Amino acid sequence: MFLVLLKKELYNEFRSRELILSMLVFGLSIILAYAFTSDVSRVIVANYAPGMFWAMILFVTVLGIHRSFSYEKEMDAFSMLIAAPIDRGLIYLSKWISGFIFLTVMELIVTIPFFKFLLIDFPPNPLMALGTALFINLAIMAVASLVSGVAMRARLSEVLLPVLMFPLVSPVIIAATKISGGIMAGDHYQLWQIWLLIIGSIIVIFGLVGYTLFDFITEE
Amino acid sequence: MTPFFQNKTNRIWCLAAIGLLIFNVWNIVSNTPMVPDQHWAQKIFYVHVPSAWVGFLSYLVVMIAGIMFFIKGDDKWDDLGLAAAEIGTLFMALVLITGPIWATPIWGKPWIWEPRLTTTLILFLIYIGYFMMRSFGGHIERIRRYAAAVGIIAFVDVPIIFVSVQFWAPEIQSHPQVEMAQQPSGILIPFLLSLGIFTILYILMMRYRIHVIRIKNMGVENV
Repeated sequence: MFLVLLKKELYNEFRSRELILSMLVFGLSIILAYAFTSDVSRVIVANYAPGMFWAMILFVTVLGIHRSFSYEKEMDAFSMLIAAPIDRGLIYLSKWISGFIFLTVMELIVTIPFFKFLLIDFPPNPLMALGTALFINLAIMAVASLVSGVAMRARLSEVLLPVLMFPLVSPVIIAATKISGGIMAGDHYQLWQIWLLIIGSIIVIFGLVGYTLFDFITEE
Repeated sequence: MTPFFQNKTNRIWCLAAIGLLIFNVWNIVSNTPMVPDQHWAQKIFYVHVPSAWVGFLSYLVVMIAGIMFFIKGDDKWDDLGLAAAEIGTLFMALVLITGPIWATPIWGKPWIWEPRLTTTLILFLIYIGYFMMRSFGGHIERIRRYAAAVGIIAFVDVPIIFVSVQFWAPEIQSHPQVEMAQQPSGILIPFLLSLGIFTILYILMMRYRIHVIRIKNMGVENV
């Protein structure tokens, strides 16, 4: 059943492409704003680059995850979805994994302009950067999907989502910035492995909490 | 429902709490020794730490109330959760006010990203969102469920936030409340007394707030 729900999310997006496209354009706009507002030496920008990158990802995530849940509200599709005899925790899992896929696709595209427009060098170990980014995306989406599930059917959900999500996701952003900073500086794995552990804990804890709570949250 | 203060037990508890609070202030000002390098600034910790204790205790109550609300589906758990969230946030605000008051003369600046203070700030922000959702989230039955979920998620996030901030700024570990436990009885006993008085005040505030919330809910149901 999980695969059916995931397919629904992916088909929906690959037919309309509105989610990835809007995330992508928004991400590029943020990079443009960064380029105009950080007219300082390349060394300073390079030092701040990991934080800037993950802050951009956070903004883009809000846009994407809100859209991912809000189209369920159109013609009350979500009520029909939860009326189906399925484990509602699987709805959370499908939103989480589909969100992770969309965010990763968007991130892969937006990374090149990020480095090129801000005139900074690519990380010395791109594979490690990619691997950790996948892990971080999974953590961001675990929190974002859960918060979006809570805020989605509330009034003014577009306001409540970032207000609730940003403080909750702060440990992920701290860890992401430290990991990326370590990789950019060419630090040894042991210097930032603790942050991977924190990211791993967030994935496990929020995954379990999200899966368990979604059944109660979506009750009619 | 009879007014809160018509109940004799409540009146006695309330008078006792006021008396204990006045005694606590007198005790802190007159009977506690001056710490040589901190002078009067140190006295704020007899208020700061108990406020933090009550704040975190209150948020634990919000989480437990949230879990019970999901299991039992009874609105009384929602009332308990709301009351605990409100009072917890009030005490967290006290922590965020008293922390910088202490830090200004001791650290030379009002704010340092100290792990406990940072965790408090993040929790405080989450609960601002919680109250925003409660206020203009819409359908009351749904909002009760969402509020219970946010209460659970927020408390689950506390240890992760704390550990992250601790590793993020490892050089900032000079928060003196840990050392307070190892202080001589001149400091320790008034500190524990203050902790107890704040806890009594918290229980009383909770009883009063739950009473008010129930009256309010009865009014809404009768409209």
